[in-house]
Amino acid sequence: MEMQVTDPLLSVDSLTIDIGGANVVDDVSFSVAPGKVMALVGESGCGKSLTSYAMLGLLPPAARRTAGRILLQGEDLAAMTERQFRKARGKDISIIFQEPTASLDPLTTVGAQIVEAYRAHHGASRAQAYEQARQMLVDVGIADPDRRLHQYPFELSGGMCQRIMISIALICGPRVLVADEPTTALDVTIQAQILDLMKKLVADRGTAIVLITHDMGVVADIADDVAVMYAGRIAEIAPVHALFQAPKHPYTALLLASVPKLEDAPKADLATIEGTVPTPNEFGVGCRFADRCPLVTDKCRREQPPLFDCGGGHRSACWHIDRMVEICEVAA
Amino acid sequence: MVRYAAERLIQAIIAIFGVLTIVFVVMHLSGDPTLLLVPQDASAEMIAQLRQQLGFDRPIWVQYLDYLRGLAHFDFGISVVQRVPAADIVASRVPYTVMLASGALLVAIGMGIPAGIVMATRRGGWLERLLTAIVVTGQSVPTFLSGIVLIFVFGVTLRWLPTSGSGDFVSLIMPSIALGALSMSTFARMTRISIIDELGKDYVRAGRARGLSLSAVVFRHVLRNAAIPVITIAALEIGNLLAGAVIVETVFAWPGIGQLAIQSIQSRDFLVVQVIVLLISFVYVMTSVLADLVYAIVDPRIRMAR
Repeated sequence: MEMQVTDPLLSVDSLTIDIGGANVVDDVSFSVAPGKVMALVGESGCGKSLTSYAMLGLLPPAARRTAGRILLQGEDLAAMTERQFRKARGKDISIIFQEPTASLDPLTTVGAQIVEAYRAHHGASRAQAYEQARQMLVDVGIADPDRRLHQYPFELSGGMCQRIMISIALICGPRVLVADEPTTALDVTIQAQILDLMKKLVADRGTAIVLITHDMGVVADIADDVAVMYAGRIAEIAPVHALFQAPKHPYTALLLASVPKLEDAPKADLATIEGTVPTPNEFGVGCRFADRCPLVTDKCRREQPPLFDCGGGHRSACWHIDRMVEICEVAA
Repeated sequence: MVRYAAERLIQAIIAIFGVLTIVFVVMHLSGDPTLLLVPQDASAEMIAQLRQQLGFDRPIWVQYLDYLRGLAHFDFGISVVQRVPAADIVASRVPYTVMLASGALLVAIGMGIPAGIVMATRRGGWLERLLTAIVVTGQSVPTFLSGIVLIFVFGVTLRWLPTSGSGDFVSLIMPSIALGALSMSTFARMTRISIIDELGKDYVRAGRARGLSLSAVVFRHVLRNAAIPVITIAALEIGNLLAGAVIVETVFAWPGIGQLAIQSIQSRDFLVVQVIVLLISFVYVMTSVLADLVYAIVDPRIRMAR
């Protein structure tokens, strides 16, 4: 039996980003197909946000892409000049951010900012662009769009501002949407609404989403595939069900075990992972998770594990995939 | 918006009333103001006569009410030295100071703000270093020195510009630069800091993410957001320029109110000094009200508050 494979829309290939001599993103590769959601998961500082900025060519000045390609339908964004990349931003690939309110200019009406995004890529008149913006607000579920267009960000709630950001991101119909912790700053009920909206957009438009998050609940809710990042590297990458059912990397297993469950005893200690994430100047030659790993051996410290293929699109960067049973005992 | 403006105006009226009172108190603080007004060699009878004539022998609160009544009618008293209304003496000098302050403000804003923008957006280049050198010079060289150096170089040595006087536009150039240099540096530094601060904000990255160039984001969004602290500075600087005019007008023999203030202090013409102090205070208060109103125009959060 042959599985149906859709060509990936976006492939990140061996992306490496350097800050001050350390590879804070190291050889990261993943891809996402149209209408699918790829989640990048990890703790703060694991390089997931830098990866997302690199996809839009918006790395902070201190960070430098030293290797890798970002292929959007076969075209390498990373090889583009700033001028070419600018034309792709917002039109071919868009991004929404963690802080929707801070991501809008406080002195400009939200309508003007949506219009600005449309007119950056279309030679439309102001009136035509406003009509597009109005339609976009309807699509993201904003009631009373005519009034909202003329309001300022401070007059809107965080959830409303995120809908505006989504409108800005999608008004030029990009094929890929990068969502950098899009619900982290929002109330739980609003989170669910925004996630539902994103699911709907993926379904309707066939947009591919790269979702950056640290929230396993969000991943379970919306993602098709997951890449777990640790200290700048991909630890494990798999279809979402495979990853949740049978993690093949100790870090993933411990991360999943640390999510509190309803059936846990009240006031039971929360499961944690011993130790702390290494800072970039502490990165050794071996596996970056070695110091915190219950399965650690000398080999882990000496040699960096490659991403082993476990079948079914499941890959893990661990020398001891065969000993994962032991972890499940530790975690339980 | 109307309520906001009304509140600011009421605050301004209170501030001006405070200034009037402080000026009155200072005038009477050192005891009998008659002694301030008479020549040093005046006889005791002369002093007594003048004291009675000016009403300084009355109770202090009567004098205070009388002073306020006078001000309400724009009566600022008669100059003891020149025997004409003090207000008329000051009024004849005001146009010169307005000219000088406008010239200096033009130098300060016209050079300071663009310099600040360039310093913030072209960081690390030779242009930034050059501008930084100019700004540091502008803020560290005292006005009396820069005035004299300007006169020496462009007036005496090169003979490009007149060394003093108020004949025409050309004679305004050097005093404007001397007076505006410090403000120019202040504007440049504030603009630079303010823009750098804004450039680090999320909306800048978000603006670029929707396909705008960095310069488009700067011109459409950053400059307006960065303007608010600069407006505050502008209001303060207009007051500072009037105060700084005292030195520059003396150096360049410019017949404005600064020079008049020095002359009046030297000739003990205190009613004229009082008018100048009141005038400068009034300008200070009104420019800060103006700044508050400009905030409201720039920032919808202030305009639409409450």
